[in-house]
Amino acid sequence: MNRTRVSRRGVLKGAAAVSVVGLSAPFVRGAHAAGKLAVGFWDHWVPGANSALTKLCEEWAAKEKVDLTIDYITSQGNKNLLTIAAESQARSGHDILAFPTWQPADQAKNLEPVDDIMTELIKQNGAVNGTVEYLGRSGGKWVAVPATAGSQIKGPCSRMDLLKQHAGIDIQAMYAAGGPPKADAWTMDAFLTAAQKCHKAGVPFGVGLGQTSDSVDSAGAFFQSFGATLIDAKGNITVKSDATRQALDFYKRLIAVLPADVSAWDDASNNKWIVSGRGSMIMNPPSAWAVAKRDAPQIAEQLWTHGMPSGPNGRYAPFLPYFWGIWGFSRNKTAAKSLLMHISQPSAAEKMVIASGGYDLPAFEKLTTFKTWAEVGPPKGTLYHYPNPHNHQTLSIAAAPAPPKIAAQIYTQATMTKMAVRHAQGEAMEKTLAWAESELEGFSRS
Amino acid sequence: MATAVLHDRGGPSRPVRYGSISRSRKRALVWSYVFLVIFAIFFLMPPVYMFITSLKTSQEISAATNPWWVFDPTLANYIELLSSNQYLTFFKNSAIISIAVVIITMCVSIPAAFALSRMKFWGSTTLATGVFLTYLIPETLLFIPLFKTFAFVYEYTGIQLINNWWVLLFLYPTLTVPFCTWIMIGYFASIPKELDEAAIIDGASYVQTLTRIFIPVALPGIIAATIFAFTVSWAQFLYPLAFTTSTDQLVLPVGIITTLIKGDVFNWGQIMTGALLGAAPPLIIYAFLMDYYIAGLTAGATKG
Amino acid sequence: MVDAATGTMGVGTRAAARRRPGLFQRKSTIAFLMALPLILIIALLVLYPALYSMHLATLNKSMERFVGLGNFEFLFKRETFWMVVQQSCIFAITAVLFKALIGLFVAHFVHAIPNKGQRKWRGMLLVPWVIPPAMSTLAWFWLFDPSYSAFNWLFALVGIDPVPWLGDAYWARFSVILVNVWYGAPFFMIMYLAALKSVPEQLYEAASIDGANWWQRLWYVTLPMMRNIILITVLFSTIVTFANFDIVRVLTAGGPIDQTHVFATWAFKLGIEGGDIPLGASVSLFMLPILGLGAIFILRDINKRGNEA
Repeated sequence: MNRTRVSRRGVLKGAAAVSVVGLSAPFVRGAHAAGKLAVGFWDHWVPGANSALTKLCEEWAAKEKVDLTIDYITSQGNKNLLTIAAESQARSGHDILAFPTWQPADQAKNLEPVDDIMTELIKQNGAVNGTVEYLGRSGGKWVAVPATAGSQIKGPCSRMDLLKQHAGIDIQAMYAAGGPPKADAWTMDAFLTAAQKCHKAGVPFGVGLGQTSDSVDSAGAFFQSFGATLIDAKGNITVKSDATRQALDFYKRLIAVLPADVSAWDDASNNKWIVSGRGSMIMNPPSAWAVAKRDAPQIAEQLWTHGMPSGPNGRYAPFLPYFWGIWGFSRNKTAAKSLLMHISQPSAAEKMVIASGGYDLPAFEKLTTFKTWAEVGPPKGTLYHYPNPHNHQTLSIAAAPAPPKIAAQIYTQATMTKMAVRHAQGEAMEKTLAWAESELEGFSRS
Repeated sequence: MATAVLHDRGGPSRPVRYGSISRSRKRALVWSYVFLVIFAIFFLMPPVYMFITSLKTSQEISAATNPWWVFDPTLANYIELLSSNQYLTFFKNSAIISIAVVIITMCVSIPAAFALSRMKFWGSTTLATGVFLTYLIPETLLFIPLFKTFAFVYEYTGIQLINNWWVLLFLYPTLTVPFCTWIMIGYFASIPKELDEAAIIDGASYVQTLTRIFIPVALPGIIAATIFAFTVSWAQFLYPLAFTTSTDQLVLPVGIITTLIKGDVFNWGQIMTGALLGAAPPLIIYAFLMDYYIAGLTAGATKG
Repeated sequence: MVDAATGTMGVGTRAAARRRPGLFQRKSTIAFLMALPLILIIALLVLYPALYSMHLATLNKSMERFVGLGNFEFLFKRETFWMVVQQSCIFAITAVLFKALIGLFVAHFVHAIPNKGQRKWRGMLLVPWVIPPAMSTLAWFWLFDPSYSAFNWLFALVGIDPVPWLGDAYWARFSVILVNVWYGAPFFMIMYLAALKSVPEQLYEAASIDGANWWQRLWYVTLPMMRNIILITVLFSTIVTFANFDIVRVLTAGGPIDQTHVFATWAFKLGIEGGDIPLGASVSLFMLPILGLGAIFILRDINKRGNEA
């Protein structure tokens, strides 16, 4: 095995060179953790964002004299899920892995509980939101630490010029930087009307309906805005409800004005849609904007990240948290915990937010006030509303509040987007619901 | 059948008499060319498109101009990949693994094929037929039990098998050995029995018969099997995807798919360059050894 | 290793063994030793894991309880499962059929042109089979891309609406099969070409003297002579196509709404991504008996013919 890899892409952009050496690593204080540690983080989609994390880890490794190996594992093609499954079966591999959304709960019995770290971090950085708790705790124990790197909100990102021109909506005024949103008129109906107008103008909205996380997350938020839950917290199948019918009906009308092949979109398709200049809106974290800034600057200047439209049940934003977990089979758990503590410090979180151009979202309450979001551009302030600074929308994950093990399958099987597509392609409402019910029964088996 | 095959083993240089090309023959020839051109366009379009895209910058690709033309050609993608340690590591891993697997495959399948085609033992006929049936068991079925085995090995020996490229040296032969053995059985079967019987009577051992007589005579078959094993190892996707994760352990196809494609980042120029460069080694090998490949494959397959 | 050991044994004992009845036995021992590495590889790395998978397929989701054939019972009630069965069959049968037909046609055309130029054409036509499919599929994926499709760009020039290559169920199935045919046809072409060359010219001459036309020559001379090789390539390709993973995985990952899933990709989705390993194993196992029976019959047929010849 090789030693720690050197950071991939140059130095960290304008990092505040705050030293973290002063912060203690409580679990190994006074002694070298030493030994070996292999970690697998999520391979970031924002160019250059991995380097901040690498640097933080290397600092820690040098201080603790640990032989550290860092791998960045992509979620493209679900390679990270494959690695998680492989290592949990082979009971060897890395010590720490990045676990997306449902994986901590799914692997709970193979993970080392981290209550000690979480108690400390919550004391230090403030509480975490309900979704993080729902996903990261299992059987009354924290099984993973919410990660800054990779956690994201997939709210709408719109072309200001096209929305103004074709739909008569001034999204920049609605979600002005520096103040609370004035978005009362931003409802599902307004969203649909805007989508229809933009479609007519030849620049359709690009809401994915494939089976990867971007599409599933969007569908989850829309379903929740209508109050449609497939399975409730107790595990009862509740798909046959008027709320679900409303949501499907909404989607049917929306799909009619989306590009023809949205049902085959993956996580990259929406980015390509907006970067190519053919679309007026997508649902994505700021990586699309970051890439546009590099490859198509004239388009980036017109992009504005804002909040979700509200539905009958409220305003829900698609939120996808990542976690860092320690495998139960790890042979260096002390060092692993020390490293997780180190990279969860406020200064560490801020560095990750800066390096990712505002993409990463810390889960703790006191860590949502970094300046980056207000400052990056052009256009300046485009990310101000990205981290939900005024709490005007509920951050939720698709398939919640079902018991995590069932929800995980609803999520990976993309049941909601499939329902939307089936119904939109002409399948009768009740038939779609019956199909969904039979799928859900399948997921509920133990 | 056997005689026909033997007759042809000299290579495809058999002279064809076109002395009296009648009008209908000429017309058939023209049609042949027309269809060949159509199929060649179909077969070559993706690689050509890869090449075109590999010469473009990200800006040009994302500008969605004429995709079949390069307005602003650049070698930047090639330079960047060929100077990236990571990509060269993928290349190196692929090369080492493929060559080693070819050697292992040959060491296993040549003696086995000889034993199965010339020296009967209990169950050898069943084995000769059954070897082919191993392909019926899909790889998707095998890797989870293999993970479990890895867990067992790790627990008792402390040797970590997962995420190490050399583990693939044990796994790839399961994909190459059966077909190669089977091709070799067919090829050996086309060698006249008198040849080795004579050698045995002259006092040669079985091993000598194999190394001195069979291997030289069956060289086209062996080369065909070698090329097959190389192609399969070079192209394997699922096993390395499942068993390796760290970038310094990855092989080319998996490396390109997991490191160059980033969900939100647009670098199709580089992806196409990587894929094209990755396709180069087998292309070169085929360009030089294709005649043997055809001769060997046919003899083996028709008799098998 | 084995060679060396058996080699010395063979040399040292040959003279003594010649007159003894033990000779036969010794020969079989040597043969067994020579085949031993093959047997070990198959037994340890294919048969053992396969049996283990069969065991896994009889467990419940958390792999703690024996459920017998419960997983199959569950699968047989699922609409999606039968859809995947149907799609796998459509995919494999259509793809193999077109690969064989295109292979045969192209081989015929290459065979028809003067020998001099054949090498060049063969080389060009073999390219798709040589490029690792995971990579060439990426090129196709990019050709089919919704926003940047180069095909749709060409279509736009002549006023055809953009085709949702991977977005519509029928187009997606077409695209997946197209890529598989593109990748596999050259292998058929090269095998058939070699087989065509091994048909003795005298047979055609004899047929011509009997007044056979082109079609009759193909039907009564060429095809019977190529019978074995056609059977073998079709069998091999069917098995491999049924197990195909990379093309579907890279191109559509099973979408849209599961309408391009084949056994391997769906098993992967259930077992690895959905965390239900026993169910995934059951899906992978489903085709085994059917394909196995088919393969045994074809192989027996070929062996019989081979022995007659």
